[in-house]
Amino acid sequence: MQNKIVIDPVTRVEGHGKVTIHLDEQNKVTDSFFHIVEFRGFEKFVQGHPYWEAPVMVQRLCGICPVSHHLAAAKAIDRIVGLEPHELSITAQKIRKLLHYGQIFQSHALHFFYLASPDLLFGFNSSPEMRNVVGVAMEYPELAKKGILMRKFGQEIIKMVAGKKIHGISTTPGGVHKKITVRERDYFLNGKDIPSIDTMISWSQEIIDFMKSYHSQNAHWLNEFATYPSGHLGLVNAENGYLELYDGRLRAIDSMGHKTLDDIEDEEYQHYFYEGVEKWSYLKFPYLKHLGRSEGWNRVGPLARLNVCEGISTPLAAYERLQFLDANQGKTCNRTMFSHWARLIELLHCAEMMKDLLEDDDLLSNDLVRRGERRNEGVGIIEAPRGTLIHHYQVDEKDRITRCNLIVSTTHNNEAMNRAVKWVAENEISGKATISENLLNKVEVAIRAYDPCLSCATHALGKMPLEISLLDSNGNTIDVKRKSE
Amino acid sequence: MSKERASRTLVLGIGNCGRKDDGLGWKFIDFLKEQKIDDLDLEYRYQLQIEDAELISNYDRVIFVDATKEPTTDGFYLRPCSKVGMTEMTSHSLHPETVYSLCSAVYGKNPECLILGIEGKDWGLETGLSFEAESNLERAKRYFIAHLFVYL
Repeated sequence: MQNKIVIDPVTRVEGHGKVTIHLDEQNKVTDSFFHIVEFRGFEKFVQGHPYWEAPVMVQRLCGICPVSHHLAAAKAIDRIVGLEPHELSITAQKIRKLLHYGQIFQSHALHFFYLASPDLLFGFNSSPEMRNVVGVAMEYPELAKKGILMRKFGQEIIKMVAGKKIHGISTTPGGVHKKITVRERDYFLNGKDIPSIDTMISWSQEIIDFMKSYHSQNAHWLNEFATYPSGHLGLVNAENGYLELYDGRLRAIDSMGHKTLDDIEDEEYQHYFYEGVEKWSYLKFPYLKHLGRSEGWNRVGPLARLNVCEGISTPLAAYERLQFLDANQGKTCNRTMFSHWARLIELLHCAEMMKDLLEDDDLLSNDLVRRGERRNEGVGIIEAPRGTLIHHYQVDEKDRITRCNLIVSTTHNNEAMNRAVKWVAENEISGKATISENLLNKVEVAIRAYDPCLSCATHALGKMPLEISLLDSNGNTIDVKRKSE
Repeated sequence: MSKERASRTLVLGIGNCGRKDDGLGWKFIDFLKEQKIDDLDLEYRYQLQIEDAELISNYDRVIFVDATKEPTTDGFYLRPCSKVGMTEMTSHSLHPETVYSLCSAVYGKNPECLILGIEGKDWGLETGLSFEAESNLERAKRYFIAHLFVYL
């Protein structure tokens, strides 16, 4: 008899996914899948709307990273009004970057403290009742407080620039519609009302220190758990190949560090990428055409970005990158759990970048909007918290959107997450006489390292309870476990 | 920007007015705004977030107002918010109980917390409330005026 384990939905990720693991009579794993069962329709929704509405509409894809969609769409629309990213006013560029770093800062803080830290602090074998953010708050209240205030800091940056914390509006075609005032920026610098940006930098360093200490005590499982070779994709700075989150060139490398995509410009992406489909998931599988489906898939996100870049422009994060490299013997890192470490280095980088920008008087200028020669097509690519985000629009002579293509960060990671599930199934579950809740949590730990946003990747409506079902080969239910909605 | 806390009571309306009756929480806040009640702070939320734990720690009383699918006798319920660490599936939405638990564990503050759940029927992708939800909203308003003004 063949059995099938279903984890539905996967918990502590953004959105709704389901895992099935197929077992034979000896509980040996025969196959596994990570299904994305939400459906997205945004590429269709925006068709027929005027192009200037796109940055406002698409941010409704998500309540966690609306800023990323807002900015990627804005960069694409800038091209439709005839402007390359560097042709925007300096003020507009810097205000957008401040918004972007605030967004990544709050998202990374939320992921680490709320979604990931329970696994690290309490371990796989702790009780599910403890393995959540309230458990963290009860056992580590100071850590939890810092997490809340770091998330709040990023959200307040977003509110200052975009008017509100979720689904605010900052951009207009060719720029931004609002400058920053001295009073607004001093709120983040002086530490009177909220902890200052210097405190955010200090706390980011503390959390990285925690991660390094954790690694020194748990090196084996962090090094080995869900480790498998893959490609890595991300933006790099066009001038020096450094870490770049807002605008740069797309670079991919293989698992050994050899370049597989050599710093291409935004518009070129469509010549290099295909999106594969599977009947068991609404989420597509992007890959590099010239390498094919089996070899051309890439991880994206913090781990991939640290792998593809040649340095970091801010000093504290640059130092931490060297420590990270040292832990990997200077090689390309294919260790899934190092995603958490990489994410925290980016947290620090974003804090440093926000400090530089907040202290820059260019933010205060009234030079906000530029215009160029109208075009009918635009591509915008940024690094969202979870990875490379591509927005592509075509418009007609009446300014209506005729085609939209979105390749969202989590979509790039689809194959990587499926490999993670397969790794855990084969290495941790296969052949076990009984399948415990803790074993199933390991599947979720591997997926969670990617910080997937399944709502973004497909656009979700509604929510579902957690249900784990054990079925035989005929579809008969042997056992069901249900968690609360 | 955060503001100086002047009120002792906070009412948080949770929902999405683009999802029919899921807008009940916001409609209730609209109603309270029209009443121009002193010493009462009002907030709209799509979902509760972890930083709301810090927000509610600044108040003596907090009322979470949300639409509910749960069948009710009077079209709404008003019940105490317990401090229970609930396992959330995503950070897109937190339960009031989780926010309250975080507030207590992290900030050591235990404001009086109530949940006002107003029963909805239709959760489609449209603005505007269903007839049943409008009726339940009116009942909740009347109850609030009759009983909770005293409480504030």
